[in-house]
Amino acid sequence: MRRDDVPVLEVRNVSKTFDTVVRALDEVSIAVYRGEIVGVVGENGAGKSTLMKILVGVHAPDQGILLLGGKEVPFPRNPKEAAQRGISIVYQERGVIPHLRVYQFLFLGHEERYRGPWGLQNERMKREARNILDEFHVVCDVESFMYELPLATQKMVEIARAVLGVRLESQGKDVAPVIILDEPTAPLTLEERRELFQNILRMKETCSFIFVSHIIPEVMEFVDRVYVLRDGKLVAHYDLAQDAVTEEDLFRAIVGRESLAYTFEARKKAVSSEVVLRAEGLTKRGCYYDVSFELRRGECLGLFGPAGSGKSEVLRTVAGILGFDGGKLVIKGQEAFSGEPPHVRLERGVGYCSGEAGKELFFHWSIAKNISIVNLKKILGKFFPVIRFGVERSIAEGVMGKLEIKAPGVHTECYSLSGGNKQKVSVGKWLERSPDILLLEDPTIGIDVGAREDIYEVLLEMKQKGISFILVSDDPKEYALLCDRVLVMRGGRVQRTVSAEEFREVAVG
Amino acid sequence: MIATFSREWMRKNAGTLWPLLVACIIILGFQVVNPTFLRYEGLVTLVYAMSYFLIAACGLTFVIMMGSFDFSVPSVLKLAALLCVMYIEKLGFWAIPFALLVSTGLGLLNGVLLAYLNVPSFMATLGVSIVVEGIGLYLSKGFLHIMYNERFRALATTFIFGLPSIFYWAMGIWALCTFVALCTPFGRRTYAIGGNLTAARLSGINVERQRVYVFMLSGFLAGLSGVLYMAQLGGGSMLIGSDMSIPLFASVVAGGTALSGGMGGPHRTLLGVIIITWIQSGMLMLALGRDIQMVIFGLIAVGVAVATMDRKRIRVVK
Amino acid sequence: MVKTGRAWYPFLLLVRHPVAIVLVGLVVLFSLLYPQRFLTTLNLTTILKQFVTLVLFALGPSMVVVTGSLDLSYVGIWMLGGVLVWLLTPVLGLFAICVFPLLGLGTGFLVGVVHARGKVPSFILTLCLLVVYWGLTAALSGGYSRTVKGYEFITASLVPYIPTAFLWSLPLIGAAIYLMVRTRVGLYLYAIGSNEEGAKLAGISVEKYKILAFTLSGLFTGLGTIVLFQHLGGSVPVELNLKNVVWPLVAIVLGGTPLVGGSGGPQRTLLGALTFSVFYRGLYLSLLHPEILQLLVGILLIVSIIVGARGLRGVEIT
Repeated sequence: MRRDDVPVLEVRNVSKTFDTVVRALDEVSIAVYRGEIVGVVGENGAGKSTLMKILVGVHAPDQGILLLGGKEVPFPRNPKEAAQRGISIVYQERGVIPHLRVYQFLFLGHEERYRGPWGLQNERMKREARNILDEFHVVCDVESFMYELPLATQKMVEIARAVLGVRLESQGKDVAPVIILDEPTAPLTLEERRELFQNILRMKETCSFIFVSHIIPEVMEFVDRVYVLRDGKLVAHYDLAQDAVTEEDLFRAIVGRESLAYTFEARKKAVSSEVVLRAEGLTKRGCYYDVSFELRRGECLGLFGPAGSGKSEVLRTVAGILGFDGGKLVIKGQEAFSGEPPHVRLERGVGYCSGEAGKELFFHWSIAKNISIVNLKKILGKFFPVIRFGVERSIAEGVMGKLEIKAPGVHTECYSLSGGNKQKVSVGKWLERSPDILLLEDPTIGIDVGAREDIYEVLLEMKQKGISFILVSDDPKEYALLCDRVLVMRGGRVQRTVSAEEFREVAVG
Repeated sequence: MIATFSREWMRKNAGTLWPLLVACIIILGFQVVNPTFLRYEGLVTLVYAMSYFLIAACGLTFVIMMGSFDFSVPSVLKLAALLCVMYIEKLGFWAIPFALLVSTGLGLLNGVLLAYLNVPSFMATLGVSIVVEGIGLYLSKGFLHIMYNERFRALATTFIFGLPSIFYWAMGIWALCTFVALCTPFGRRTYAIGGNLTAARLSGINVERQRVYVFMLSGFLAGLSGVLYMAQLGGGSMLIGSDMSIPLFASVVAGGTALSGGMGGPHRTLLGVIIITWIQSGMLMLALGRDIQMVIFGLIAVGVAVATMDRKRIRVVK
Repeated sequence: MVKTGRAWYPFLLLVRHPVAIVLVGLVVLFSLLYPQRFLTTLNLTTILKQFVTLVLFALGPSMVVVTGSLDLSYVGIWMLGGVLVWLLTPVLGLFAICVFPLLGLGTGFLVGVVHARGKVPSFILTLCLLVVYWGLTAALSGGYSRTVKGYEFITASLVPYIPTAFLWSLPLIGAAIYLMVRTRVGLYLYAIGSNEEGAKLAGISVEKYKILAFTLSGLFTGLGTIVLFQHLGGSVPVELNLKNVVWPLVAIVLGGTPLVGGSGGPQRTLLGALTFSVFYRGLYLSLLHPEILQLLVGILLIVSIIVGARGLRGVEIT
């Protein structure tokens, strides 16, 4: 769009290596022009947050240069220096301080400017806070507590705070603020997202935004240009105004994994007609509405859709992590209630396996113990409820062999394993448990192709044995490979149900 | 042989090796200062001082392993002792189950306050211990109650192979606790809750129920310890053991069960108890007063808490 | 969102401070129950005296509770300081009283550093310190409660019916409230209690302000104990009385400062201390057994924490 201008912010050939092994960023260059919203998208671990942390001075880059308004300047060394140069960040979560009043939160960290003879000049702060909020069209009382505000308003106050920080720190020098929004919509409901974006669009005149996200429809809708990062490299750059880019293009650029050697052929067994799980009009306000589906024995059902479509929330509801407001959930013929904790759902036969190792594993435990924690009944003696260590060991060895977990032995502690092997342990413990229904959330996120193939193989084998799955993932290929049916979700609602064959044609091509 | 004592092995077992080393140094140190220390009479005194302490410490270990804290152990111990001595004439041996039932019930109350009413455990147990002290003082009217039932006293004071029976009780309880912690699902679940609460929930552990059970166990063992201690002393009042809470805490943590939870265990607590009671006896030998002992135990407790805390895993400490 | 119109203000006060309703209710109840004894100048003066004791102990710690931590060392500062005054009066004369604020300042700083750097949970740390101070008190005083003469002027009656200690406490209360409400330090303490990680992201040096919170707590306790020393008889006990530790805690929690931090503060503690004093005096007039009173205080502590902890979400309670 305004290619003839000088960008307000530009970084060239930035690289960053952690622990001399992992190359988190590799020769990445991006530019931001005045008054535009630039998207930076990529999977978890693609290097988005590393780049942002370099921009706000949390990390120092190994190489690369920073240009502000065309002039080369050193990288900031801390967030305060970054703010003096016009760069400020709004964090994904944990940024809001709920028990402060709005005006206190707005000026948090800048109180030295409001020191009066009788302590802080609260009235002056309130007055200026009102002006700022009016300028950004944020409607709220400056004296209410942050936790009283709706989440979208909280986010707007945070953004206003970021802009304010730049203004106060730069002290009169004319700097164009560049505000980094790190996954700003993650905690918001669908309605709140819309409200937030309208407000951000209004602010475009005064400042530029870097919008870090992996929610593709949002990126397509609100962003002027988008950079795609994958494995620390810049793999694509689209100008959405000029290039004809579809959501699928973007999706492919983001995921673009090495292709699986695995074929989609065969291994599909006829699914039995027995329904193990039925959802009828399941609703959780602000997350998803009127979701109905049936899951049969030995079937794998995919919940497909962009992040923020409610697919993860549906999955977590079935797992017992979230409750629901309306509808009915029937598991193996028995109605399950909202508010049941995960252990009750597990008794009903529903297991939940996440790709986040921190939710699944006890890092300072051995592999064997991690596997047996969900299989305690299996390893107990017949007459006394005592752990039989021989059985525990042989079970763990079996799992390790089946999933080809590379570790010195079953007593290796989990924190020393690589990401792929950690993930194999998580899947392995559920393999051994064999619940009737296993919920998979991003089961192969952030791991290499080899490990993924081993995991797929085991999952398909479990399916043959009659275990049903519900899958939520970011990778369409994963759906194509594992699922028999796919529910396409969007904006919290199920749009249509497609068979695996149709899905393969549409999404993978 | 060399492979067994490799650096890797040392690092892995540092939690056991350090207390062991400290225990050896302390034992040797006192022995050098006073060569008569470890004679038969001294040993019996030590065993008496250690046994009831070990039983109560085992219960507290489970709670700390789970990442919580139990202030009420000394109070419950005292109340159980008192109930026993006051009702033994009326109820006969039924006074023992009665006292144990009451202490288990108090553990249940602690657990319910934490698990279902969201009260942080140190506050819940502090409140409960105030209540317990109140009940105890009301019942005893502040007097020392003397026990005349010789059969009951024999529970703790019969000598078998030259050592009093309370020693065998304590070792039995300790072995049982170690077994429960290491070899049963109950122990696994306790470690899991202390190690990673989210993963424990998602692995299908009934976290609330387990918390209640562990506090009940702690209450039960505190009660048992009180009953046996009373049999050993021959009398009970609400003043016995009024300053044992810090040494108790110190012995659990010194053994290697960190306040951050998820590690250590009753097997370690034995070492901690040996260290602490040895120091205590050593200080008695050096004729240090109770006041100086409190100072030293307070400092030891802070020291071991700092030394064992798993600072990497815990982000926010309140 | 709650509308904050002026006309609604008294109503809002009651909604946001439910303990105010309890206070009014208690006053009415006791006035009706004991018409002859409750609303007398003698009783009201006694209530005021107790209020001063509670407030001066609880003022500093309530700042720490705002950050979500806990400071139990106040009684220790009072006891050890009292003995130091007794020791130093022959040397320094009346200036010896300055030991209190200095000791408070030093203790607070020490606790803050060990807590923030060593990441030891504050409740156990300050409890250990309390025991250390108790031991030191007993050791230094030789085991006897020592009376110091010469400071009677501090509590010499100025205004009839109003204890002078109350007048002395007013500037301290004012300073504490000013600090928490009108200054940056107070604001940051609330921020840390509300969301520690968020405060870190906002560029606040959390470690520094945590140390500052404990230092301030120690300082306020130290200044308060100058008055309290004489107010409570010009001598200190050598035995730790648990009620001295727990009552100020009850005042803080009852006032409405939740233990997880973020809201409440010294101004709420005033309300809590007043309510507790009225509650206690009313029960006292009822001629209940003193042990029953202690029991009721324990129950009150637990109930007020349960009420304070209601609706907590996303906070891991251990």
